[in-house]
Amino acid sequence: MSLTLDILNAIQHSVVGQSIAKSDHLVGATAQIFHVLGFIILLAAVVLTSLRLLGHGLTDRTAQQISRETNRLLWLGLASAVISGIVMFFSAVELYYFNPAFKLKIVLLLAAVVLQILWFRKVLAQETPNAQLARSSAVFSLLLWFGVGIAGRSIGFV
Amino acid sequence: MSLILDFAQSLQDSGFGTALAESRYAFPLVEAAHLLGLSISVGLIFLTDLRLIGRFLTNVPIPVVLRQLRPWVLSGFAVTFISGVLLFIAEGATVVISPAFPAKFVFIALAGLNALYFELRLARLAPVVEHQAVLPVGVRYAGLASIGLWTATIIAGRLIPYLPG
Repeated sequence: MSLTLDILNAIQHSVVGQSIAKSDHLVGATAQIFHVLGFIILLAAVVLTSLRLLGHGLTDRTAQQISRETNRLLWLGLASAVISGIVMFFSAVELYYFNPAFKLKIVLLLAAVVLQILWFRKVLAQETPNAQLARSSAVFSLLLWFGVGIAGRSIGFV
Repeated sequence: MSLILDFAQSLQDSGFGTALAESRYAFPLVEAAHLLGLSISVGLIFLTDLRLIGRFLTNVPIPVVLRQLRPWVLSGFAVTFISGVLLFIAEGATVVISPAFPAKFVFIALAGLNALYFELRLARLAPVVEHQAVLPVGVRYAGLASIGLWTATIIAGRLIPYLPG
């Protein structure tokens, strides 16, 4: 625990970490903008795919056809959110490290990414997935990604 | 401006405004609702814009995309609007002094006008309605303008705490 924190602190106090923290608010604000824009693109992709799995929205195309195009946006949005998130994290390690909302956000994020790869992607790869399976994966996907957003938004308040 | 500030201050000082701002769970949840509503409304608008500029779901006719996503876009907007009003009641006087705050509303108004022009004029043109291969160039411009204006809205919104008056 303390070793991890020591390593993270060392990074924060390294040249890179210090330059991020000290380069006034501009870097922080830019990271925040890429974080929120990336998350919105990611969530839009998740919402559109989930709506289709639930039988709403763009019903004249299969979920498989839609996910082929939303997939790229999902990973693009995630990359933008994660890279900017790492910059934000290393500019104030202790602020985030001990924050319970931050911990919850990371757990939900990991769960969402793992399930996306191991479960949702497989359902979406099928031409006609089992209706129950399609519905439950859409609900889980929405709950987890919305949960990441709610936990993330709470970081500043706990 | 001071009239708006006085109004925001009286809302913030009201019993409801104070209770909301000091609430341990309600305030972060309202903040989260604002973000999630935005992801659904503006998020799906971004996807529609990508369709308009020919970079997303190009084999789905534009009228189908518009018709099937509209209820979700509007529901998302309702959540964003209501949570935005609540946030203004709780901390309006703090945010209204930031130059990013009026800028955000200018971008929202321009995005709204662009959407209105698209819906009332461009979306009704025969090539769009009939899903023809070649679309009027205005469709592409409307999509690009929408992406630009909503991105600017989000940037302005995120800059509110960073740009104090």
